[in-house]
Amino acid sequence: MKGSDPGWVRWVLITVALAFLAVMLVAPLAAVFMEAFGKGTRVYWRNVTDPATLSAMRLTLTAAAVSAPLNALFGLAAAWAVTRFEFPGRSLLVTLIDLPFAVSPVIAGLIFVAGFGSQTAFGGWLADHGLRVIFATPGIVLATLFVTFPFVARELIPLMQEQGSDDEQAAITLGASGWTTFRRITLPRIRLALVYGLILANARAIGEFGAVSVVSGHIRGVTNTLPLHVEILYNEYNFTGAFAVASLLALFALATIAAKNILEWRLRRAREEGDKS
Amino acid sequence: MNIALEHVSRRFGGFTALDDVSLEVRQGELLALLGPSGSGKTTLLRIIAGLDAPDDVPGARIRMDGEEIDWRKPRPHQVGFVFQHYALFRTMTVFENIAFGLRVKRKADRPDETAIRARVNELLALIQLESVAGRYPSQLSGGQRQRVALARALAIEPRILLLDEPFGALDAKVRQDLRRWLRNLHGKIPVTSVLVTHDQEEALEVADRIVIMRAGRIEQVGTPEEVFHHPKSAFVMDFLGNVNLFHARLEGEAAGEAKTQVRARPHDLEVSRVEGTGSSLKGKVTRIQTAGAAVKVEVTTEEGEAILVEMPHDRFKHSGIATGEQVFVNVKDARVFLEDYTI
Repeated sequence: MKGSDPGWVRWVLITVALAFLAVMLVAPLAAVFMEAFGKGTRVYWRNVTDPATLSAMRLTLTAAAVSAPLNALFGLAAAWAVTRFEFPGRSLLVTLIDLPFAVSPVIAGLIFVAGFGSQTAFGGWLADHGLRVIFATPGIVLATLFVTFPFVARELIPLMQEQGSDDEQAAITLGASGWTTFRRITLPRIRLALVYGLILANARAIGEFGAVSVVSGHIRGVTNTLPLHVEILYNEYNFTGAFAVASLLALFALATIAAKNILEWRLRRAREEGDKS
Repeated sequence: MNIALEHVSRRFGGFTALDDVSLEVRQGELLALLGPSGSGKTTLLRIIAGLDAPDDVPGARIRMDGEEIDWRKPRPHQVGFVFQHYALFRTMTVFENIAFGLRVKRKADRPDETAIRARVNELLALIQLESVAGRYPSQLSGGQRQRVALARALAIEPRILLLDEPFGALDAKVRQDLRRWLRNLHGKIPVTSVLVTHDQEEALEVADRIVIMRAGRIEQVGTPEEVFHHPKSAFVMDFLGNVNLFHARLEGEAAGEAKTQVRARPHDLEVSRVEGTGSSLKGKVTRIQTAGAAVKVEVTTEEGEAILVEMPHDRFKHSGIATGEQVFVNVKDARVFLEDYTI
C-alpha cells in the first residue's frame, strides 16, 4: 500500500493520531505533574514524604515484591505443565489461567472477602490463630496475586510451545539432571519472556485498584496502597496531595514502559536469532 | 552394546504405535529402522533411548548386554541421541555444546578442564569444524549443525548412538555427503548405532542391517542385499524402490483361478523389438528420459497401463528405441506375493 496514498491522507492520519495521543495521554500526564508541583516543590516533597504516603508506598511495593516471585513460580509451573505434559483437564487449565483477565477486579476482591473474611469459617479459624487476611496485608497480597498471575504464564506458554522440548531431551540424554537441564537449557531460553511477563505483572500489581480496594478496608497508614491513597486524598479535596501521589504512580508507569521497550527490543533480536537457527 | 527388545508394545490413546515388537541390535552394527511415517520407528528409537517407556504388558522386556533393565528408572548406560532438528543449545557456542555432556557429569566422574578441552578439540577435528568452535548454532549451516549435534552426542562416549532422521532436514546434496561421512565415521568409531529414516536409499547405503516397519510391526529384518533382492512381502518390495504392478490370474490345482499381482522392478524388465521367450507384453514407447544414471523408458500397453523400464545408457543406445515405437516388454525377473496387503 505504501506510496499509493496521496500525501495529504498520510498527513491527516498522522495528525489525527498525534492529536489523539496528545489529548489522551501527554496532556493528562503533564497535568498530573503540573498539579502535583502546583504549590511548589516544597509542598510536593512534603506530600510525597508524608507518613501515610510512605506507608502506602511500602505496602504497594511489598505486595508487588511478594507477588513477583510467586508469579514467576506459578507462571513457570503452569507453562511447564501445559506445554510439556498431556493430562486430563489441560485445556481447562489454559482457560482458567485467563480467568483473572475476564472477571472484574471488584469481583476478585469479593471472592477473597467471601473466602477469608472473619465472618466465614476459614477466615474465622485463621483469625483465631492470629492471622487476619481481610483488611490486612495478606488480603492485599492475595488480591494482587489474583489479578497478576496470568501475565507470566501467558508470556511463557506460546514461547515454550514454539520451542518444543527437543533441547531439554537432548540435555537429559547427555546425562544432565532435571534441575541442571532447567537451569542451563530451559531458563536461558525463556529468561527474557519471563522478565517481560514479570514487568507486566508488576505494573498491574502497583496500579491495581478494584480488587485491593475491596479487601483493604482503607485504614490510613496501615492498609492503604498508593492507588487507594490517591482516592482518599482526592475525596478529602486535597488535590495537590492526590496529584503528588499520583505522580509517583505515573513515574512507576514510565519506568515500566521503558523497561518493557528495552526488553521487547531484546526479545525481538533474540527471536530473529532463533529464526535463523 | 547389544540391545534386545522383547514383545514391546506402545499405545497412545487409541493409536497403536508399536505392536508386540521384538528386535535385536547387535554389538557394533549400524542398524536402520526404515518405514513410512506412523510405522512406529521413532517410537521404537525413543524407547531404546529411554525417552519413552513401553506399555506394561507381560513378557515385555528390554535387555542391554544381556542384562534386563527397568525402563521406569533412568538408563544406567549413556545414550547418544541425535535429533532431526539438531536440538543444539542456541545459547551456547559450538564448543560449549560439545562440552555439555562432560560438564554436567557428577563431580566424581567429571574430567578436569584440560581433559574436557582436549576431548572437545579432538571431536571438533573429527567433524572438521575446528574453525567454528566459538560460533553459535545460528551461525552454522544445516550440515554443520548436524555434525556438531553428532559430536555432542559422541562426547560422552555413548555405548549406543541413536539417530532420529538425522539428515531429514537437509538438502539432497548435503544429505549424500553426510551419509557417506557417517558411514566412514562408523568405520572409525564402531559404536552400536540405530538410525531412523523414511528414505530407503539412505538406509540401503548406510546400514549394516535394515529393519522395515509397517503399522507398528516389523515387516522384515536383513542386510540391504537381503531386503532388496529377497523382499519377504509386497510391502517391502514396494517400499524399497519403484515397482511395476501387473494383474494376473493364478492357474493351478491349489490356487483355482485366484486373481493376483505380479511385481517387477524397472531394471528387471527389458524393452525390445523382439518378443522374449518368457513373459512378454506389447506396448508403445510413450516417454524416454535419458537424464540420470539410467535411461527410463515408459511403455504404455494396449490396455492403457504404463510400465516403467530402466536400462543402462549403452544398452539404450544399442537398441535404438524411439518414442512412439511399438515394442515388447520382456520380463526378466518378477515376484508374486501370495499374501497381499492394502495400505
